Amino acid sequence: MSVVPVAPVDVRGARWRLRLRNARQFARRYASRRDGVVGAAILVFFALLALAPQLFVGALQTVTTATGGPLEPPSGAHLLGTDEIGRDILNLTVHGARVSMVIGLMATLITILLGAVIGIVSGFLGGRSDQILMRLTDFFLVLPTFVLAIVLAPIILDIVGTDAELFGIRATLLVIIVVIGITSWASTARIIRSQTLSVKERMFVDRARVIGGSRAHIMRRHILPNVVNLIVANTVLTFAGAIFTETTLSFIGLGDPFAPSWGQLLNAAQQSGAPGLGAWWYIVPPAVCVVVVILAFTLVGNALDDVLNPKSATR
Amino acid sequence: MNARYLARQSAQAIFTILMIVLLNFLLFRMMPGSPDRVNPRNPNVTVEQRDAARARWGLDKPLIPDQLVAFVGSTLQGDLGYSIKFQGQPVTEVIGDRFGPTILLIGLAELIAIILGLALGAWTGWRRGGLADRIGNGLSLILYSMPYFVIGMPLIIIFAAGLGWFPTSGMLTAGASYAGPVEFLTDLVSHLALPLATISLGLIGGYSILMRSSITETRAEDYIATARAKGLTDGRILRSHAFPNALLPAVTLIAINLGYVVGGAITAEIVFNWPGLGTLTVDALDSRDYPVLQGIFLLLGVSVVLANFVADIVYGYLDPRVRQ
Amino acid sequence: MTVGRRDSGAPGDPVTVGPRVTVGPLAPPASPGAGRRRRQWPLPKQADPDAPLLVVENLRTYFTLSSGTVRAVDGVSFELHDGEALGIAGESGCGKTTTALSLLRLLPANAKIVGGSVRLYGIDLATKSENALRRYRWREISVIFQGAMNALNPVRRVGDQIAEPIVERLGLPRPEANRRAVELLELVGIARDRAAAYPHQLSGGMRQRAMIAMALACDPAIVIGDEPTTALDVMVQAQILELLERLREQLGLSLILITHDLSVIAETCDRVLVMYAGRVAEEGPVRTVFREPRHPYTQMLLAAIPNLDSDRRLLGTIPGAPPDLRTPPPGCRFHPRCPLVMDVCREVVPDEVRHADGVRVACHLYPPGGDGARRPIPLPEVAGADAPGAPPAPPAELAR
Repeated sequence: MSVVPVAPVDVRGARWRLRLRNARQFARRYASRRDGVVGAAILVFFALLALAPQLFVGALQTVTTATGGPLEPPSGAHLLGTDEIGRDILNLTVHGARVSMVIGLMATLITILLGAVIGIVSGFLGGRSDQILMRLTDFFLVLPTFVLAIVLAPIILDIVGTDAELFGIRATLLVIIVVIGITSWASTARIIRSQTLSVKERMFVDRARVIGGSRAHIMRRHILPNVVNLIVANTVLTFAGAIFTETTLSFIGLGDPFAPSWGQLLNAAQQSGAPGLGAWWYIVPPAVCVVVVILAFTLVGNALDDVLNPKSATR
Repeated sequence: MNARYLARQSAQAIFTILMIVLLNFLLFRMMPGSPDRVNPRNPNVTVEQRDAARARWGLDKPLIPDQLVAFVGSTLQGDLGYSIKFQGQPVTEVIGDRFGPTILLIGLAELIAIILGLALGAWTGWRRGGLADRIGNGLSLILYSMPYFVIGMPLIIIFAAGLGWFPTSGMLTAGASYAGPVEFLTDLVSHLALPLATISLGLIGGYSILMRSSITETRAEDYIATARAKGLTDGRILRSHAFPNALLPAVTLIAINLGYVVGGAITAEIVFNWPGLGTLTVDALDSRDYPVLQGIFLLLGVSVVLANFVADIVYGYLDPRVRQ
Repeated sequence: MTVGRRDSGAPGDPVTVGPRVTVGPLAPPASPGAGRRRRQWPLPKQADPDAPLLVVENLRTYFTLSSGTVRAVDGVSFELHDGEALGIAGESGCGKTTTALSLLRLLPANAKIVGGSVRLYGIDLATKSENALRRYRWREISVIFQGAMNALNPVRRVGDQIAEPIVERLGLPRPEANRRAVELLELVGIARDRAAAYPHQLSGGMRQRAMIAMALACDPAIVIGDEPTTALDVMVQAQILELLERLREQLGLSLILITHDLSVIAETCDRVLVMYAGRVAEEGPVRTVFREPRHPYTQMLLAAIPNLDSDRRLLGTIPGAPPDLRTPPPGCRFHPRCPLVMDVCREVVPDEVRHADGVRVACHLYPPGGDGARRPIPLPEVAGADAPGAPPAPPAELAR
């Protein structure tokens, strides 16, 4: 019997073609979800604002560069009025986009990193490690995270000192980022862990083990790709939560008056008595932005979740 | 109710509470930003005064085991220390004074939100599709995305500052005296209205979404088909078969939520200057009144643990499959 | 006179179908009067007392999907008489469950009855509004679903669930309904004290019995069993079938049994309806159809049953797969898989022809006006076989 020559199979190329096909399929399915598309458009808009606010409204106004009188209602000169020290609210709000989004992003990264690592490791290793990690996770879930955040912030500030800076972000904001990360990772870890457990049950993981892959290798090459879909959907929803929490923490007074986020703006509004004075222009812009962005993230997160992790159709 | 189930849940709850007490200790004593740093801020405090203060707070003994044991011991006996800001008033008193207003506000708000939110969610989930469903769902999503103060501040602007129907802040009119209970209640209710509306609206969104998805899943179950085959009316199927089953996952989440909401309503209290635990927390934060913060942390942690415990018990009562 | 079932001593040899199941002699259908006089509740106001119990004519039920319209039931007709047990057999997806659910319009939102009539006592249920139809659910026709674990509400006690239709549909006060529920449980062989149990506390067989008790709660004329024994092991299956037979005898029930398991039909039913791809292939008395199957599909179905007594070594299978009912094949829907296919089969839908022995077939091998003689299909070769004939084993007259 002669040996039939076989053309060499281009494995790499095939893999990329498969990825491309999956990506196109994903794009098509996602585009069919109107709510997800609207959410994504909103996020793109705010991302643009956040990337280069100066392009839209000029530099951030401060006490010295304020252009108007205190608490002026909207007019031709100031489309959204001014705050109690005369700064243009439109200017502040657009710059606030950058602060809120950046803090949200970094807090989300910490949360997802912690949550995913602990979730995958715990689910994969099982046994004692899993039990210990899950006890820890459950404990963090039970803690009144919001109060914990309030309590941790001044403590960490006292340790680090109020003037410290990292990547151009001041300590107050860094503290918020860290605190959100510490208090939010637990629910992500839980979700990822249960997904890891179900992936672990599947046969091909056993086969990789039989072939002799190390545990780290299995976690990286086999578990991770199957968990990534869930992580992506969870990340977007976590981002929504991070902005929510950051806004609230800033509102309470833990924010940075020199790099005001939307929450910080609302705090300033509250402190200056804007609600009682009827100064709605101070409150509505940052409030609307917060709600719209959180809503957009939620819509995108739900759409992603449906597209990436389809549940079986109901009868 | 199975005794072993109860016992197991109780043990877990107690263990977690102990862990919270421990964490309390760690946070406030071992962290550098702890009480014995407070006094040095004031340059007029002499070294002797500071040492005397430290001795009074028990801070001159070694951390472990002496301070830890003393801390746990006194906590369990109900002694939570003394407030720094309120000139040595016991923390339990300080917190106790503020506890009532918060519970009044939160309790009523949760009640309203649960009833309305579950009903709205069940109705929209059962009727899937159609304009009412989409509006209801959309509103719920929007409310769910709004922190309490984002709901509250516009409400003040419109209804208090604008229309003048309600006062802008506080629980009772400052310095008022009342001719009788009716006057007192009227004053209380008019102050209560807006904060109550704020927190209720914030909660309704979440409950509605939760119930809607639960009902949608329950609708696809086989026993609903059986109920239809029995010729029962749509309303009866929803009330008697779908709703009780859909309630099961919702109940757990609602009960757990109850534990958190006390802490979460802080921002609502700030906006309305409501004299409750929320404003106390912020005041204590501003003045670095650690004993009070510790007390609040403990209280909220315990309430979450208790809420989880109650959730498990209630779930066991509602779902007979879990009790064995 | 006992209503319904077998008289012992009727002529005819028992015929073996499957490993252990025997087909008993056929019992004549009871007269309408006897069965209906036994009813506890009066006939519906619009009922015609002389009409046959159930007449389904040319029923068509289609599903609307985003990818097209599925013609799940496309022209099905049959009759059910008082005290009779009709078995509906066929592969998964042939439309048997949809047919049964269409009787009471218990269809999902994307399904609709697009044609035909369903006459219960002469009353056409297919044209009734949803509200008017509700009156007939459970009180005239009830259903035993497959998989009683999911078909029973997990958080309510079994007794309550049985009493519920008695209270809601018959209007009896609760204490009396509870009493009746307990009686029903005893009727199906469940001890009274189990009425307070929850579904998960009962075994699979007991749950199925409870479902049967629940189906009987309003004393219906017809009970539809949708794969009632499929999820159970063989011993429990036998108990349930025995129970159903006993109930038929005692209560004069009429039964529609849906199953893919032909041995169940052979054991319990008087007549069998074989469906394929939404249409009727063959219908007739169980004994006749199983002993002398006419339609090629029926023959292949029966050939696929393993038989301990026969010498056939190779199991007959039906090559190919059931058609996609969004685009069913033209003409006879079975023609792509039929070993005796002719040109006419690919284009013309076969007429249903009724033969003298009471069997109705829809196949071009049996045209109207033909002699009605059986056309056996070729069966797989077997090494060393002596009588490689039709599925029921020995009788020599059946050898090719």
